[in-house]
Amino acid sequence: MTNIVAPSGVSLRAERVSHAFGDAAVLHDVSLEVRRGEIVALVGPSGCGKTTLLRACAGLLAPTSGTVVSDGAHIGNGRNGNGRIGFVFQESALLAWRRVEGNARLLADPGDAALVDRLLAATGLAAHRTKWPHELSGGMKMRLSLARTLAARPDVLLLDEPFGALDQITRHALHDEFAALHAEHRFAALMVTHAIDEAAYLADRVFVMSHAPGSIVAEITVPFARPRRAALRFSPEFAKLCGGIARHLAGTA
Amino acid sequence: MKRLVPALVVLASIVGGWYALAYSLDNNFASSDGSALIIPPPHRLFEGLNGPTVERIADATQISLVTAVVGFVLAAFVGVVLGVAMSWSRSLASGLWPWLIALQVTPIIVLTPIIVRVVGPSFAARVLVTVLISFFPIASNTLFGLRSVPRALHDVFTLAGASRMRRLVRLQLPAASPSILAGLRVSAGLAVIGSIVGDFFFTRGTPGLGRLITYFFLDTRAGPMFVTAFIASLIGLAFFAVVVAANRIFVEPWHRP
Repeated sequence: MTNIVAPSGVSLRAERVSHAFGDAAVLHDVSLEVRRGEIVALVGPSGCGKTTLLRACAGLLAPTSGTVVSDGAHIGNGRNGNGRIGFVFQESALLAWRRVEGNARLLADPGDAALVDRLLAATGLAAHRTKWPHELSGGMKMRLSLARTLAARPDVLLLDEPFGALDQITRHALHDEFAALHAEHRFAALMVTHAIDEAAYLADRVFVMSHAPGSIVAEITVPFARPRRAALRFSPEFAKLCGGIARHLAGTA
Repeated sequence: MKRLVPALVVLASIVGGWYALAYSLDNNFASSDGSALIIPPPHRLFEGLNGPTVERIADATQISLVTAVVGFVLAAFVGVVLGVAMSWSRSLASGLWPWLIALQVTPIIVLTPIIVRVVGPSFAARVLVTVLISFFPIASNTLFGLRSVPRALHDVFTLAGASRMRRLVRLQLPAASPSILAGLRVSAGLAVIGSIVGDFFFTRGTPGLGRLITYFFLDTRAGPMFVTAFIASLIGLAFFAVVVAANRIFVEPWHRP
């Protein structure tokens, strides 16, 4: 394993990552970094290679060219560096044959039972620990998926449209819960989303991607202080920021 | 109660049809002692069961039952191991698959005499016949189940740096268990068939249910013949029930297809 000294404060860095599936180029020359404790959102039209980039960052896919480095270690196919990388999947990816508690413990260190308990309590699942995944609502499944991933104490959390399948009320509730979990656990997060308001509400910085082959067309810093309150969603500043992101997405900025 | 009614109606129809057939056949009661030659009516089913006959049936039942149980357990083991091996190695799967199909579609009854000649008329030969007829549905269902694990679940294990064995035991086998149990359900019936069909070619030693029923057939002893057939059927049902119970305990609580 090649050790590279990463600039301090950087948890994850993708450098000039390009990828093609056969002849179809999906990513073109993407570079970005996620600093310690920072939430970065990646928005882009569907099919722009967001998920491919995320999989490359996780080491689940070796990009055609370019490198990904996390806490000083190369991320390669099936190898996820020195830092602990957690991945939250779109479809929650729970093990149907394990109860809530069994799923929550799946990735945790055996000695981390107290952390699992705390996470189950924080995600409102403590009273449901003996339920099967099929007995949970969509929101509860995603909470469990978050709890399970955080129980492994990740330094970097990669999230692939984690709230995309939820109704709006549940989604907004989960935004606040996610922000609270982030405030406590201080992981670096790279979150793929197609919801502009989600990116603006949760992220410190937003990267906007173009149509395939995806490349980064804009980097927007979100100026809102934390903790953010639901009222923020209805403020003119929020609307203005969302409008700015939307214009970059539409290519008219 | 509502669910019982259709079953009772069917049962009554079968018993009624059985009586009608028994008393409408011309020569059914033409034997010297008045016992049935072709079909004994239900209430006279046990007439021909004297002491020695009961003993022969009990011995045969024991042989066939033990053969079926041992054969089924071995078939389950062989089937799951083959399924796992084929899921690990594409070349093994593609090399082996046509032969497994060929073996599966060859009627076991034409293989049985070959096996008896090669292995000898032993318990091992009976078990081998049973394994050969019943392992395929388990192997193919295991392979299918292991290959059908969603990619995201594999990714979870890849990110956790799981070894191949851990991935198999913690992810693939549990995910494939509904499919494996579906294979076992098919194989349970086949194992009982195998243990009885295989028995036809064992011309020495204590007969199993297969050979015993041919003896009763040749002696035109309709009552014991029917009883033997019922016992074979009950063994098949018992096997099926065990697999259904296993499914109910291990799969149904969590599995939503």
